[in-house]
Amino acid sequence: MNAVEFIIAGMLAAATPFLLAALGELVAERAGVLNLGVEGLMALGAVIAFIIVYQGGGHLLGFLAAGLASAALSLVFAVIALGFRANQVAVGLAIGILGQGLSALFGKSYESLTVKGLPKLSLPGLSDIPVIGGLFAQDVVVWLSLAATVAIWAMFAYTKTGLVVRAVGENPKAARALGYPVIAVRFAAVAFGGALAGFAGAYASVVYTPLWADGMIAGRGWIAIALVVFGTWLASRIFLGACLFGAVSLASLAAQATGLDVSSQLLSSLPYLVTVIVLGIISSNRRLLKLNGVASLGEPFER
Amino acid sequence: MLTNLTRRTLMKGAAASGLVAAAGGRALAADEPLGIVLVVPSPVGDVGWGRALADGLEPVKAAYGDKVKVTIIENIQEGPDADRIMNKVVADGNKFLIAGSFGYQNGALQIARRNPDVTVLHASGFQVAPNFSPFAAQYFQGTYLMGMAAAALSKTGKLGSVSAFAIPELITSINAFTLGAQAVKPDVEVSVVWVNSWFDPAKEQEAAKALLAQKCDVIFSNAQDTPSVVSACEEAGVPAFNLNSSMKKYAPETYLGCVATDWSPFFKASVDAHLAGKFKGANAFLGVGDKVVEVVDWNPGIPAETMNRIKEVEAKIAGGSFSPFAGPVAKADGSEGVPAGKTMTDAEIVAMDWHVKGVTTPLPK
Repeated sequence: MNAVEFIIAGMLAAATPFLLAALGELVAERAGVLNLGVEGLMALGAVIAFIIVYQGGGHLLGFLAAGLASAALSLVFAVIALGFRANQVAVGLAIGILGQGLSALFGKSYESLTVKGLPKLSLPGLSDIPVIGGLFAQDVVVWLSLAATVAIWAMFAYTKTGLVVRAVGENPKAARALGYPVIAVRFAAVAFGGALAGFAGAYASVVYTPLWADGMIAGRGWIAIALVVFGTWLASRIFLGACLFGAVSLASLAAQATGLDVSSQLLSSLPYLVTVIVLGIISSNRRLLKLNGVASLGEPFER
Repeated sequence: MLTNLTRRTLMKGAAASGLVAAAGGRALAADEPLGIVLVVPSPVGDVGWGRALADGLEPVKAAYGDKVKVTIIENIQEGPDADRIMNKVVADGNKFLIAGSFGYQNGALQIARRNPDVTVLHASGFQVAPNFSPFAAQYFQGTYLMGMAAAALSKTGKLGSVSAFAIPELITSINAFTLGAQAVKPDVEVSVVWVNSWFDPAKEQEAAKALLAQKCDVIFSNAQDTPSVVSACEEAGVPAFNLNSSMKKYAPETYLGCVATDWSPFFKASVDAHLAGKFKGANAFLGVGDKVVEVVDWNPGIPAETMNRIKEVEAKIAGGSFSPFAGPVAKADGSEGVPAGKTMTDAEIVAMDWHVKGVTTPLPK
């Protein structure tokens, strides 16, 4: 396996925590809610999944519980930010910090323990192709995340549910006038986003790096939020962005392992640099931003 | 000026304070226990740096019982937050502070200067004050031995290291590892991945896999507090070793061993000296001879012949008759690092900013 094969084979798995969390944030933002608590929601999901898997509950139960726990915490956010119409930025930050605190508390006696990850499922035939074969041998969560990306893309592109969510985010007053329950839709979107953030955290702690360590999310929730903007609120671009970020992260490590004479500090900042540059290019196109941006993002809705 | 706090002076200090206490010359502050606070940058888990420091305080607790009160504050980021917390614990009346990370240096030194009655021990720094001792382990003595074992087990002749930050302490560990490996197989090469983070398990594991993809078949987990690297290597069937505390339970099959640190002799002696009012700030650079650094949990698969050589070298290091950095040592760019017949001094070792020949990854500048 050389460096290129290493990047190709690892890219999707590296992207999965970002992808899942960003897709969840996408749905919430499409409904007009800016939830900055993703980092904490991921941390909570990570610790809950880890505890369940460590106690022998299995990965499926671990993921479900992680999704439920993070959805529940995101509903706390929804009650304060949507119910009481508090500032979404402030509440999101507070919930994020709360989630990290809770994860540290629950995980205290599990610090630096390990569990078994999940086996890789290969697509027969495809995974034997030289160089790019590794791309087709991934664990089940990666495959499901890809399916979720397609499903969320299709939901916004083709279904009435998708249109209702978008309408609530674009012009809640108009959506209300048409008889749609704006607050209920936003609650559902936030809970969905929370569940996906929980899955993302679970993936990090029981599949990708199957161990628990306080602080192991290490800023990935923030990258996920950035990816939503970077992807101009489109599932397809978020997917590309997550893969780009994952691939560049792996490439920066592989470059060092091969002895390439580039400063490691530069390489470590490369994923962020690349993301910022692409973000800059995209947000320079006003028309595109206006086309996909969410008009009422972050604004409280009063009937 | 660098003064070495050797084991002998430590023991002297301990004996002296024992005598003083026995003579009743100076009563321990009988009513108020001595408040000892340890501040560490990462969570204290079952293993790792924070655990090694916390364990080092156990004998102090055992020896003094309720005459000392030990508090451990974990997961404190280097920077203003750490300064604030250290100031607070000192303001609360704690008189013995252990600042468990290089980045705490400036804040901890200020506290020491402002509070002459407080004793501060600071991990891996270089500043010294009358009541401020930097302490560091001579990990490189242990990693040299690990290098010998790694070279004996490697089939590809390529070894790898996942490393946190390019600071001298980590650089010397990698260099000694490389020199030890070359002592067994002269053409061994070492690749390094700097993750530029003290704590990011996912990135550490990715880095380990990047090294495995480059056919490195023994991995050195350099300053990782979680078993991220060690467990990834176990999964891949590749031997790995780490520093500070043993991670054998995470890699029962392939674990190569642990360059462990036992800080208790140093902590105990420092607390003794503080209570006796005789604490003197000095640079404590402690190694195999001081019983602070010790290689444990050797992999039973290491060939007996190699193991015998390792034990011989270990005894020489402990006795002071051998240093991994005895010349001639060539730098990675081919120039002369240490001339033949010379040995690097401690001062040179703690400031080492170049890789030896055989390390293929260029050092970040």
